[in-house]
Amino acid sequence: MANLNDITSLELTASKCRENVIRMIKASEHGHIGGALSCLDIVTAVYFHAMNVDPLNPKKEDRDRFILSAGHKCLAQYAVLAEKGYFPKEVLDTYGSLHSKIPGHPDMHKLSGVEANTGALGHGLSIACGMALGVRDNYPDAKIYIVMGDGELPEGSNWEAASVASHYHLDNIVLFIDNNGLQISGKVEDVMNMTPIDERFKAFGWAVRNIDGNDMREVIETLDSIPLEKGRPTAIIAHTVKCRGLSEGEGNIAFHYWSPSKEEAEAAEKEISDRTQALEQKSGENR
Amino acid sequence: MIGEYLDPRKEFGKAVTALAKENDKIVVLSADSGKSSGFGDFAKQYPERYYECGIMEQGVIGVASGLATTGKVPVFCAIAPFVTARPFEMFRNDLGYMKQNVKVVGRNCGISYSDLGATHHSLEDFAIIRMIPGVVVLAPQDPTEIKTAVKAMLEHEGPVYMRIGNPSIPVLFDEQPFEIGKGRIIREGGDVTVISTGSTTKAAIEAADNLSGQGVSVRLIGMPTVCPIDEELVIESAHKTKGIITVEEHYADGGLGTLVSEVCSSKCPVKVKRLGIPKTYASSGPYDELLAYYGLDAKGIEKSVNEFLK
Repeated sequence: MANLNDITSLELTASKCRENVIRMIKASEHGHIGGALSCLDIVTAVYFHAMNVDPLNPKKEDRDRFILSAGHKCLAQYAVLAEKGYFPKEVLDTYGSLHSKIPGHPDMHKLSGVEANTGALGHGLSIACGMALGVRDNYPDAKIYIVMGDGELPEGSNWEAASVASHYHLDNIVLFIDNNGLQISGKVEDVMNMTPIDERFKAFGWAVRNIDGNDMREVIETLDSIPLEKGRPTAIIAHTVKCRGLSEGEGNIAFHYWSPSKEEAEAAEKEISDRTQALEQKSGENR
Repeated sequence: MIGEYLDPRKEFGKAVTALAKENDKIVVLSADSGKSSGFGDFAKQYPERYYECGIMEQGVIGVASGLATTGKVPVFCAIAPFVTARPFEMFRNDLGYMKQNVKVVGRNCGISYSDLGATHHSLEDFAIIRMIPGVVVLAPQDPTEIKTAVKAMLEHEGPVYMRIGNPSIPVLFDEQPFEIGKGRIIREGGDVTVISTGSTTKAAIEAADNLSGQGVSVRLIGMPTVCPIDEELVIESAHKTKGIITVEEHYADGGLGTLVSEVCSSKCPVKVKRLGIPKTYASSGPYDELLAYYGLDAKGIEKSVNEFLK
């Protein structure tokens, strides 16, 4: 069982990461905020609770790896990498600027900690399969974590990769589907209905669990249970809320991509920093 | 001059398998394509380094990229259009943009799957893959070059695309080390330069020799690296002869001829004629007859050279 201190501490970290997201959006005046905030609790938990990584030795061979298949959610990854110490937070202020190390989709040759150049959807899982095959003999404990968007599921290449993961019994693969239910044109189920997502992955030979992907307890208890079944890759259907943590944007499709005014950005900043302060207080009380 | 005929796929597979003994990082990926790519022995000798993925070329490119991030040297060979046109975005992003050390080999290239029709022809692979920054494009011209090019390809750090044909091809050269980015002077001559690559070089040699008998002196260049092109040799040839004719089993647009033209137009303006398949879906039929139909046999090349010099 996850203890309360762990959960509060991770919630506090996630809140600080949300502040980092707003910092980047303030710098560039735009960004894919909706998906970044829906998956942010997961990305935080993966890096701060589960992964064997060292920001000072980012290429160490036995490391766990994280791939953001939905590369447009990179604000979440940058926010977490900065919080984890991969790069100075001042870099966050360069989002959107010429030659930034943190472009609109991640580039492994620009930023330490990024493992794959994603952005074109449907690429992450097959790259992850290759990593999983490549590391499992020498580093049987090393895991490959992937965050994929639910709107990305119709890409056929995902299902090619889903077959590889199952055929080769890649139980070192941990796939989170960020199931926020909304994509740029509308509800995912209306645009292209891929439900039941869990049954589809089960049919492909995966071990599957449905969780609330914005509930830190559920996320870390699931991470502590990997692999869900020995010999099978894990798919976690993470039911999330688009733009989680920003009340105006929660579940609001208009926040898929957000270009806030200065006032809107400052209001968002305040809402999230108030949340951080409340969590800091709670964290102190728990000690 | 023209030696033993050998199966290019078997020579390719044999070369990779031999090098895999010395380099345990070499792994092979198959999209139900490994055994037809000459990897039968590799699969038997190194089953733990042989990944069958079934028919999913897009997925295989991604898997190869991921394997390469862990230090493996993946080699993936299948029918040329299926490893280039079909998974182009995976090639561009997962191999090119990610700068991964993956070797993709398109076999049965050009129109060598002649009777199977246009779905199985690859006439734009040079054109599209050369546009991916950082990717080397190779087209070895005979069995000795396949062997040495495989070694160079596996020693090169970074993504490589190599194309090989299907029917048996004759030994044309004595074996010598393969240098990526360098062409070779096959015949010296002063009237006109012919630059050929891959499968068409045998016919180009025959044409050059026939022309020599007619008093036409051809400088014949073999260009087994299409990209990066050997600029120095192109410029030298432009200065030494009255013009350049390129020959390739590819669209006349976008491939070797275009690369040569790019060099000439910016550095050594000279008339360039590009021989290849016109931009259409090629017809089908026996390979030799199809090559002759498109003027890519010795007679066709000879005729084009004579017309060029008129």
